[in-house]
Amino acid sequence: MTTFTPESKAAESNTANNISSSRRRFLKNVSLAGGGLIVGLPLTACASAQLPNESQSALQPNALLQITSDNQINFYLPRSEMGQGTYTGLTTIVAEELDVSPKSINVINATAHDDYKNIEYGIQVTGGSNSVRTHFLPLRHLAANTRLVIRQAAAQQLKISLADIQTDNGKIVVNGKALPYGEFADFANKLDFPEDAPLKERSQFKYMGKNAPRLDGLAKSTGTAQFGIDVDFEGLHRAALKRCPVFGGTVKSFDATAAKAMPGVKSVVKIHNGVAVIADHYYQAKNALPKLKIEWDLPETLSAFSSDSTASDNGKGLFKTALDSDESTNAFEQGDGLDSLKNADTIMTAEYWAPYLAHATMEPMNCTAKLTGDKLELWVGSQAPDLAKFAGAYYADVPKDNVTVNSTFLGGGFGRRSATDFVAEAAAIAKESGFPVQLVWSREDDMQHDVYRPAAMAKFKVGLNKEGMVDSWTVKRSGPQIMPYTLDNIIDGVMPSFLPNGMVDWMSKAGYSIFDSLTVDHASVEGLYEDYDAPHKSSDHVTVDPGLPLGYWRSVGHSYSGFFKESMMDEIAALQKQDAVEFRLKHLKNNPKLANTLKVAAEKSGWNKPLPNGHFHGVATHASFASYASQIAEVSVKNNQLTIHKIVCVIDCGLAVNPDIVAAQMESGIIYGLSAALYGEITLKDGAVQQTNFHDYAALRINETPEIEVVIIESDEAPTGVGEPGLPPVAAAVANGIFAATGKRLRSLPLKLES
Amino acid sequence: MISFELNGQTVQVDAAPDTPLLWTIRDHLKLKGSKFGCGMGLCGACSMLVDGESTRTCILPLAAVQGRKVTTIEGIGHPEMMSTLQSAWVEASVPQCGYCQSGQLVSATALLSKNSNPSDEEIDNAMSGNICRCGTYPHIKTAIKQAAKDLKKGNGRLQAVSHFDPSTLKQEA
Repeated sequence: MTTFTPESKAAESNTANNISSSRRRFLKNVSLAGGGLIVGLPLTACASAQLPNESQSALQPNALLQITSDNQINFYLPRSEMGQGTYTGLTTIVAEELDVSPKSINVINATAHDDYKNIEYGIQVTGGSNSVRTHFLPLRHLAANTRLVIRQAAAQQLKISLADIQTDNGKIVVNGKALPYGEFADFANKLDFPEDAPLKERSQFKYMGKNAPRLDGLAKSTGTAQFGIDVDFEGLHRAALKRCPVFGGTVKSFDATAAKAMPGVKSVVKIHNGVAVIADHYYQAKNALPKLKIEWDLPETLSAFSSDSTASDNGKGLFKTALDSDESTNAFEQGDGLDSLKNADTIMTAEYWAPYLAHATMEPMNCTAKLTGDKLELWVGSQAPDLAKFAGAYYADVPKDNVTVNSTFLGGGFGRRSATDFVAEAAAIAKESGFPVQLVWSREDDMQHDVYRPAAMAKFKVGLNKEGMVDSWTVKRSGPQIMPYTLDNIIDGVMPSFLPNGMVDWMSKAGYSIFDSLTVDHASVEGLYEDYDAPHKSSDHVTVDPGLPLGYWRSVGHSYSGFFKESMMDEIAALQKQDAVEFRLKHLKNNPKLANTLKVAAEKSGWNKPLPNGHFHGVATHASFASYASQIAEVSVKNNQLTIHKIVCVIDCGLAVNPDIVAAQMESGIIYGLSAALYGEITLKDGAVQQTNFHDYAALRINETPEIEVVIIESDEAPTGVGEPGLPPVAAAVANGIFAATGKRLRSLPLKLES
Repeated sequence: MISFELNGQTVQVDAAPDTPLLWTIRDHLKLKGSKFGCGMGLCGACSMLVDGESTRTCILPLAAVQGRKVTTIEGIGHPEMMSTLQSAWVEASVPQCGYCQSGQLVSATALLSKNSNPSDEEIDNAMSGNICRCGTYPHIKTAIKQAAKDLKKGNGRLQAVSHFDPSTLKQEA
C-alpha cells in the first residue's frame, strides 16, 4: 500500500485547488496520492440551516476520511484533542454512519491545512466548545455517503443489487459473507461520490449516545501518547528563553559570557522578546538562564500598573473609576434600556470583581522548530495549527507554504494553546541560532507570560416592579477586551497571502486601536444579560486596559459573567425574601431549557429538603456555548473555613455523543472553575506578574474536590457545547451557598471568607 | 557514571550528578512517559517509583538514585501488557488531556502496593500530591477502586512488566 501522508495530501490539494474548483476533481486528485478511497467534506454544503455560518464561506472540500485498499480506515482529526474528548467524539460520529467500530478507526492529528478549518471561525482553531456541534451533521453526511459509495462499488463488483448489500462493522455483508470495505475502496473511488445518503435514525445508533472508553485512553494510560514536549530526534537542541518580566519590554543590552561558560551551552541568541540559551539538554539551558545579564527597555503603561495600588487610576481603582464614569459603549439594549430604571419601584445595585487568571495547563508551553534552508518544520500541540504555521513563517522569515506543522496531543489547552507566542519564539530561536530547537517553558515562564483571562468589574442596576419582578436588567462592565490582543495572532491568517509581511505587521499592530474604537468585543459582556426575562435590558462596556496580554480562558466572558449575574440574581431573591430557585424560575419563562435544568437540579439535590446540620445549598444557572447548565452546591462554613461537600450539575447539551465524556467535562469545568473561584488570582507589581508556580497559584487537588453528581438531560436534539458550559455557574453556586451559611455576600473572586 | 535499576534493568548514565532524575530519564535515556510540570515537586507530573515510593523526580538529583530501583510508567505496563490499574484507567476513561496521568498512575500504583483496599480518604491522602488541571479526580477514584477489586479477585497484576525493554516503546501521535 502507498503510505498516505498529510504532507502529500496538502501538496495535492493545493494543486487541485489551482486547477479546478470541482469537488469531485479535487477528491480524485487527492485520492491518487494515497490509493484507496479518500473523501472530503463539503462542510458548508452539508451544513443544516441551524448552523450559523452557512453562507459565510465558499463551498470547500476537505479531505478527512480515507479507506485504503488494505482496509485501513484513517480519520484525520480536524480539531485538537486537549482533554475535552473530541478525538473520541468526532470519531464516534464518523463510525456511526460508516458502520464501523470507533476502535477500528485510525485517528490522525491533522496538520495545518485549509481543509481542517473550523467552519464557524474560518481558521483552524479548536475552541468555543463547538467541535462536536459544528461537525455533527457534516461528518455524519460524509460517513453515510462514504458507506453508500462502498456499497455501490460492492454492488457493481459483485453484480448484486444495492438493496441486498448490507454492512456490519466495516464489512460488506452479502450472502452470508463479510468482505472488508477496503476491498472495494479502489473501485468506489471511480464512482461518483453520492451526496444524499440517508442518515440513521436515533433508534439505529450503535455508538452514539452510549458510553464507551475514550479512544485516546490507552495511549494516555501507558505514557505512550505523544505531546509536544515528547518530540525528539537526532541533533535536536533544547532552548530556554529569558523574557522581560514586563510584557512588551525589549532587550536593551545583554552579556552572555557567564551563560556561555555553563555546561552544555551551545549558543546564546537575542530574539524579538528576549534572550535564549541553546544547549544539548533542557536542564542545561535552564540552569544557564540566570547567568544572563540583561538590561531591558520597559514598556511605560504596563510598568506603571500594580494590583495593590489604591490610586484611582491604578489597581482596582482603574476599573472602578471607569465603571463610575459616564463613559461607555452600549453592547445590547432591549425595550427602554437604561431609561426604564426611572419607572422602577425598587432599584437594586451591586458591584462585582474578577481578577486576571492564568491557564496553567499541565504541559508548559513548548514548540520544536527545525529550519532547513527556507523550509520550516514545526512540532507543536496547538489549538490553532494554521496560526502556528503563520507565526512560524513570519518569525523564521520563510514563505507560509514552506512551513509544515506536525500536530501532537495537547497537555491541556483551556484556550492557552490558541495563542502562538511560544511558536513564534521557537521559530525565531531556530532562525537566529541555526540549530533545530525545542523551546521549553518553565512553569514560572508559563505563569508569568501567559495570555491571561481579563480582569473585570461590573455594576448591576436592576429595577423591580411593584410585584417584585425584574422590570429592567442593566449592567455595565469595565475591563480590557480580548479581541484586540488576538488580532495580532489571527490577522496574519486571514489576510491574503500576497500581502507583504510588513503590511500584515502594520495591520496587526494597528489592530488594537482600530478594533477598540469600533466595537465592543462580545466576549467582554457575554453572559451578563441574556438568561433572564426582563422587558427592559441594557449591557454597556467601558474599556480600561493596563496592557497585560489577554487570551481566551475556558468559557471566556462567561467565566466571570456567570459569577456576576448569578450572584446578582441571588441577591435580588434574598432581598425579596423569595426562594432562590423559585425566583429564578419565574424569570425563565422564555428560557425553558435552562429552567428545566434548574428544576432537575433542585430535585436531585434535595433543594429545600433537610440537610446535615450546618450544611447549606447555593444555586446558580447559566447558559453558554449553546448549552444549559444548573448547579447546586452543598457547603458548610466552620471557623471561617469553607467546605464544599457536593455539587449537583444538570446539563442540557442536546444528544450526548458519549455521555461519560460529557459527565467528565462537567466535572472538569467544575474543578477548573473551583480552582479559580477559591484560589485563582494573578496580580501585578510594576507590570510584572507576581505568581510563579503552583504554590502561589494553586490548583484544586483531589482531597479538596467535592463529590460531583452530573445529570445529563435526555435529548434528541443535535449536540451543543460541553467543554466550557460546566464552568460558569460554579463560583456563584458556592458563593451563594456561603451567603446561605453565613449571611456574607462575597462579591469578589477569588472567594475569601476572612474579607 | 551513575548506575541504578530502571524498570528492571541496570543502567549507567553519564550525566552530571546534580541532573534531575526526570531529565536524565527523558533526555538521556529517552523515556518520555514521565512529564515535566513544575520543576519544584509541586504537581507530581514527574512521579516515578523509587524503591516503591512515589517520588517527585524533577527535584531529585541523579546521584540520589545510585544503586536504587526506579520504575517509570513504562515499567508499570505498556499498551500490549497493561497493569490492572492501567486497564481500570482505560475502562473508566480517566485521562482527559493525559499529561499528568503517568504521574497519577505511579502514585496510585504506590498506594495499591501498600493498601489493597483504600478508602476515599486514603485515596485523597495518597493522591493529593498529583495535580490534574483537567479535573480527572472523580474518575481517578473510580478507577483505583475498580483496580483494587480486580486485584483482590486475582485479575492481572499491579505491575505488568518486570523488565521493560525500551525497544518495544511506540509513541502514538
